[in-house]
Amino acid sequence: MSDAVPSNEPTPTRSEVPAKAFSPEDETAMRESLKRCSAATVEAAVQFRRTRDPGLLPTIVLGVIERFVESELRPKLREGDDDLRLVEDLGVDSLTMMEIVMLVEEVLQMQTNNDELRNLRTVGDVKTFIDCKVRGLPLPKPTRFLPVEQVAAIMPIQPPFLFINEAQIGSAGAQGKYKITGQEFFLQGHFKDNPVLPASIMLEALGQLAVLFLLEGSQAEPGKRVDSSRILFTSCEGVRCHRICRPGDTLSLSVRPRRVKMPLATFEGSIRVGQEKAAVAEEITLTFAYVDETVGEVGQREDVAGLAARPRDVAGGQPPLAAASVAAS
Amino acid sequence: MATFPMTRAGAQRYDRAHTMPRIFVTGVGFITSIGNDRGTVLQSLRELRHGMLRYPPFDKPEVPVKVAAPVRGFAVDSSDPEDWTYPADYRLKREVLRSLCPNALYAYCAMQQAIRDARLEEGEVSNEETGLYAASGGSPAILGRLLNQMSQQGVMRCPPLGIVASIAGTVQFNLVAHFKIKGASCGFSSACASSSHALGFAFDDLKLGRQKRMFVVGAEDGNVETILPFAGMRALSLNPDPETASRPFDVARDGFVGTGGATVLVLETEDEVARRGVTPYCEVAGWGQASDGHNVAISHPEGHGLRLAMQRSLQSAGVSVGDVDYVNAHATSTPIGDVSEVKALRAVFGGDVSRVAVSSTKALTGHGLSLAGAMESGFCALALREGFTPGSAHISQLDPACSGMNIPRETQSIAPRVVLNNSSGFGGANVCLVFRRA
Repeated sequence: MSDAVPSNEPTPTRSEVPAKAFSPEDETAMRESLKRCSAATVEAAVQFRRTRDPGLLPTIVLGVIERFVESELRPKLREGDDDLRLVEDLGVDSLTMMEIVMLVEEVLQMQTNNDELRNLRTVGDVKTFIDCKVRGLPLPKPTRFLPVEQVAAIMPIQPPFLFINEAQIGSAGAQGKYKITGQEFFLQGHFKDNPVLPASIMLEALGQLAVLFLLEGSQAEPGKRVDSSRILFTSCEGVRCHRICRPGDTLSLSVRPRRVKMPLATFEGSIRVGQEKAAVAEEITLTFAYVDETVGEVGQREDVAGLAARPRDVAGGQPPLAAASVAAS
Repeated sequence: MATFPMTRAGAQRYDRAHTMPRIFVTGVGFITSIGNDRGTVLQSLRELRHGMLRYPPFDKPEVPVKVAAPVRGFAVDSSDPEDWTYPADYRLKREVLRSLCPNALYAYCAMQQAIRDARLEEGEVSNEETGLYAASGGSPAILGRLLNQMSQQGVMRCPPLGIVASIAGTVQFNLVAHFKIKGASCGFSSACASSSHALGFAFDDLKLGRQKRMFVVGAEDGNVETILPFAGMRALSLNPDPETASRPFDVARDGFVGTGGATVLVLETEDEVARRGVTPYCEVAGWGQASDGHNVAISHPEGHGLRLAMQRSLQSAGVSVGDVDYVNAHATSTPIGDVSEVKALRAVFGGDVSRVAVSSTKALTGHGLSLAGAMESGFCALALREGFTPGSAHISQLDPACSGMNIPRETQSIAPRVVLNNSSGFGGANVCLVFRRA
C-alpha cells in the first residue's frame, strides 16, 4: 500500500459521508490497487471518487469481481446476467469473496460488516448491496432459500398442483426448480402414450413462483402483508414455448417483478432446462390485496423464515461468507 | 509401546515378528541454490559447484553479512504473489498462489518434480494411505508485512489468507490442500533438524503400517527475513567472498551462509515399490534422535546428543559402524558446531573414523535451516543411486580438530552402501537418518 496515505487519517465509516478530497496520491494508490482490473473499471473508479455518481457502480463492482474470477469464466460475467451465482457459477469461494469486498471497500471508501455479506449469493445481490450502501439506503431483504416443505407451508396452492420443488427469493426476483417426475396425473392424457408437460402448466409454474415472490419477497406497506387467499391470475402476454419438456427434465423457473402496486403485480418470467430456453412470458399479471398483519403472525412468519434458512446450510449451499465462518472456527 | 531393539539381529527379529515393511525413497524434487532439478543438483554435487553469491539485499553498509545462497529463477519479493515470476515449467492459478509464501511455492514446484520422478498417478498421490509431513520456518517476511498492515491499515484490511501464507505450517497447509492429500499430515518444528524429524516420523508411520506412502518436505524462504536474524546471534559468516564464505571443517570458517528452497522426497513401503514396479533411490534403513539438554542455541561441546542420535539410528537400522561408508554431516561452517559434530563422530566411529567419508554439502548450498535435513537426504539418495561420495568443498586448511578423519575435498566415484545424514537444531535437538543402497 502507498505510504502516501497517512495512517492517522480517519477511515470513513459510512459511505454517505461526503466524499473527501481525492488527492493525486490517493489516485495513484487506487490505480495501483486496481492494476489488474480493466481500464474501464479503473477509470470508473477514478470518476466515482471525484463525483460519487452511483451510475458508475455496476462497472466498478463487476470489474472488481472479474479481476478475481478465473479467466475462462470471465465471459459468463460479461453476459451481464444478475442471476449468476458467485459460488456455483463463478467459482468465487468465501475467501475470494472477502478479497472482492476488501478491494471494493478500498475503492469506494466504504465499510461493510460480515453480517451484511452473508447473504450475497448472486452478482445481482452484490450490485444491489453496493448500490444501497453507497446511496445510504436500507439494505434489501437477503436472498432466501426455501425447500419444498417451506414452499408448501407458504403457498395457498398445494400438491398435486404445486409446481415448485425449491425456490430462492431475493429482492430482484425469484428462482425455482421443478422436476417433472412423470407421475403428474395430467401426463396420463397429455399426450396419449407420450407424456409432455402442457404449456399451460409451465405458465402455471411461473405464476406460482410469482405468487411465492409476492408473499415472501415483496415489500408490503408497513403493518400489512399480502393476503395469500386473495392472489389471482389476471392476464399474460407474450408467451412463447421453445422446447418440449418431458419426465426427467428439471425446469429452472425465474420471475422478476416489473411493477408491484396493489391491486396488480406484473412479472416477466422464463423457464430453462439446463442451458436450453424452454419458455418465456413477457408479462404475467396477478391481482392481490393486503391484509393487516397481527402481532402473532409477525412472530410466526419470522419462524418460517428462520426454519427456511436452516436446511440450506445443512445442504452445503451456504452463502460465501457463512462458509468462511465455518472454515475459520 | 515397544522400543527399537538394541542389536542388529534383534532389529531384524523385531521387524520380522512385527512384519514391518522395508521403506524406500522412490522420488525426489529439488528447488535449491545448487539447482532446480535433479540433474542440475547431481552435477553440482559431482563438480562441487556452489550456490553462493554476493546477495544484493545485503549490499548495505549497515549489513555486515554479504553472501547468501538464494534460489535462482524465481522473483518472489513482491507482496503480491500475482507479481511473482517463476520457471515456465510451473503454472499456478491465482487461487493457489494467493496462500503461498516463497518457500511454499518452492515446495509446490519440488512436489511436482517428486511426483513425476516417482511416476505417481493422481490417485496414488490423493488417497487415504498417502500422507505428507513438512518442515518450514514459515515466512517471516510475509508475517512481518501482515502485522504492519494490521497496525497501519486496520485489522479488517489484511489479506484474508495472510495467516495461512505466513505461519509455520504454511507448507503442509498448502500442499495438503492443493495436492488433495488425504492421509496423515503434520508440520515439524525443531529448527535446523525439522525436516529430518519429518522424515523420521514419516518412516515410523510407514513401518507401523499407518500409511503406504509419505511425502516429506523441507522448505525455507532463504531471504533477508529468514537469514539476517541469525546475524545478531553471530552465527553468519561475515566473509564477503562467495568462493569461501561457507567452508565447514576449514580452520578459518566463521559462520554459516543462509539459503532457501525446497526438497521433497517420496517414501514408500516395499509393497508399493513392488506393486508399482519402480526402482527406488535407496532404502531408509532407520533413524534416531536425542537431545543435548545443554543450551538453547549452542551445540553440546562434546556432541553428546548427536552421538546418541547416531548410535540410536544405527541400532534402529540394524547396521554397525563398520557398514557405514559416508556421513553427510550437519556441519554448517560455524566454529563451535563443526567441532562438536567431529567429537560426536569420533565417539561413534572410534577407529573407523579414519575410514568413513565425512563431508558437509553445506559448503555448496549454504545452510537451509528447516530445509536442510530433507535437502541433504535428497543428496544422500542421489549418492546412493548414482554411486558417488560427495566431497566437502572450500577447505584450504583443515581444522586440526579434524585430523585423522576422512574428509574428501573432491567428490569421489566411490559408491557408498550405507549413509548417515546428521541434523542438529536449536534446543540441542539432534537427528540422524540412515540410508542404505537399495
